[in-house]
Amino acid sequence: MPRDIDRDEAWRLLEGGAQLVEVLPSSEYEEDHLPGAINLPLTKLDRQAEGLLDRNRPVMVYCWDIA
Amino acid sequence: MNDHGTALMKCSTCDTPIDECAFCEEPDCRTPICYECLNVALGQALPQPHVHGG
Amino acid sequence: MSPRAAWRLESLGFGEVYDYVAGKLDWMAAGLPTEGTNAMRPRAGEVARKDVPTCGLKEMLGSVRERVRRQGWDAVVVVNEERVVLGLLRSKELESDSDLLVEQAMRPGPSTFRTFVHIEEMAHFMVEHELESTPITTSDGRLVGLLLQMDAVSRVRPDE
Repeated sequence: MPRDIDRDEAWRLLEGGAQLVEVLPSSEYEEDHLPGAINLPLTKLDRQAEGLLDRNRPVMVYCWDIA
Repeated sequence: MNDHGTALMKCSTCDTPIDECAFCEEPDCRTPICYECLNVALGQALPQPHVHGG
Repeated sequence: MSPRAAWRLESLGFGEVYDYVAGKLDWMAAGLPTEGTNAMRPRAGEVARKDVPTCGLKEMLGSVRERVRRQGWDAVVVVNEERVVLGLLRSKELESDSDLLVEQAMRPGPSTFRTFVHIEEMAHFMVEHELESTPITTSDGRLVGLLLQMDAVSRVRPDE
């Protein structure tokens, strides 16, 4: 089951080399994204996750906010 | 007019009736804006359909 | 959106998946760095004056006015011991009766804005709405500084 995390844990994951994924549309990603994050919009996840992500490393996903 | 007989302004972006401008909080603002439209304009929120209680 | 993505990744065989539920808004509200086309644009948190005078609810307006005017300011942010913004005293409120408590004279619950809002947008709105100053806060309401219209405008139009 995916684990919900807060900002401090997000920062630790970032520093620890986790794969960061922003799932918002690309226009949102282009303006601002977390350092090192790649863009994998939700609608393209199925097709692109395999090629872009290493399933043996931690992955952190995020979008705009909790809404 | 609202129930107290006070004229309501309308958000200059979405036309929703509002009591005061969300940016300057003045009831006689010339370009009033609602909280939702303001948050989107300032990048504090993503655009969403929004409704108001007035 | 992110919960669905997290669950979908897990169903695709990704073993260690985390969902940063508070998201990019939370990250930027904390003043943490970002990348992208907006990352280099100046933001409200950088331009806001961190040395804005503050006062408490129960102080006397007269003594607060005297103190801040001596420091060359005509605005004061009313905060509690956690530095959470409770009110604002701009020049108009500072002219109130000296014997009033700050909580009686202040403008309660003023509009506040996040540190990551771009300065162009703030300058535009402050000029359009004739707003001299506005508190900039963290997402939990703690004061970062006071953004002055003149500072926002001069950052956007430095040659004028």
